[in-house]
Amino acid sequence: MRALRSVVALTLLAVGAGGALAWFAAFTSERARANRLAAEVRALRELAGADVAPATSGDLLLCEDGRVLLRGAGRGYGGPLRVAVAVQDGAVAGVRVLAHQETPGFADILAVEAPWLDSFKAGEVHAVTGATVTSNAVIATVRRLVERARRETCGR
Amino acid sequence: MRALRVLWTAAARRNPAWAQLLGLCPLLAVSNTVANAAGLAVASAVVLVGSAASVAAVRSWIPVDVRLPCFVLVIATFTTLVNLAMEAYAFALHQRIALFVQIIVTNCMILGQVERVASKVPVGRAVLDALGAAAGFAAAILALGAARQFIALGFPLAAMPAGAFMIAGLLLAVANAVSTRSEQRQTHRDLQAPRPREP
Repeated sequence: MRALRSVVALTLLAVGAGGALAWFAAFTSERARANRLAAEVRALRELAGADVAPATSGDLLLCEDGRVLLRGAGRGYGGPLRVAVAVQDGAVAGVRVLAHQETPGFADILAVEAPWLDSFKAGEVHAVTGATVTSNAVIATVRRLVERARRETCGR
Repeated sequence: MRALRVLWTAAARRNPAWAQLLGLCPLLAVSNTVANAAGLAVASAVVLVGSAASVAAVRSWIPVDVRLPCFVLVIATFTTLVNLAMEAYAFALHQRIALFVQIIVTNCMILGQVERVASKVPVGRAVLDALGAAAGFAAAILALGAARQFIALGFPLAAMPAGAFMIAGLLLAVANAVSTRSEQRQTHRDLQAPRPREP
């Protein structure tokens, strides 16, 4: 009887909690998605120096006179990570990580303020101690995107 | 007057951070700037007060055997609600401190508050006590955040984890010195007071 009472109380509480969460998640999801999209638009604009429409489903975001903006996904430590690369005349002009699920702290190297992403522009990039999987995932993705950008003929 | 005393006791004499040494993980991790510290203080306060009020409201229906799972369930619900709200309405802050908002679930400060106070008193008293504890935690994390951000201007170590431990230790020493001093004064006053005559 005592055990049954515990089960009932815990079940009722769990149902209530689940209901409240489901309702609130539905209520905020639209806004949260808009926020994520706005952040991506901002990152891409900084990268391209011009407005880019990220809502298009393709990964080729910009392609004009030697300038290519590509986006792609790699496999990081915590799941997929999405990277955008600007390529100017076959060389990396900029790299941004648009979304990731890497361990906080270890993901600090992916921040815009951190110097690591800028090292791609210099052409010499090293994996980061303690964040090997994360940095190698970014490096592999950037390499793939750059190779694709070099082959890109922009529809000509 | 009594309400004020409840608030003061919860915020200062039983300060979660400096007197009970609870909730130190977010305290140390998110206090690198005042803005981050304020964000976490508000998030913790909402979870603390929300959980305390809910648990106090249903306290007579919670079987004592499963009270801890029930408390954790309530705290986790409020934490997730706060996290969802932040992602929708304070996205920039969410980007910086989301992880530490999520682990508010495991903050013993909140479980302790719910177990020790909210599960035993009426809603009003539980909310008041939780508000006091939240204010105490906010004061502690903001003091640490301000100290770290200021000292880091000339001494970058303060913004790093090692600096967090050092400055938290120094603030703890100050808090201990102040509370010891006030206790001694209280004892002194008690000794000076005329003794009640023995019957």
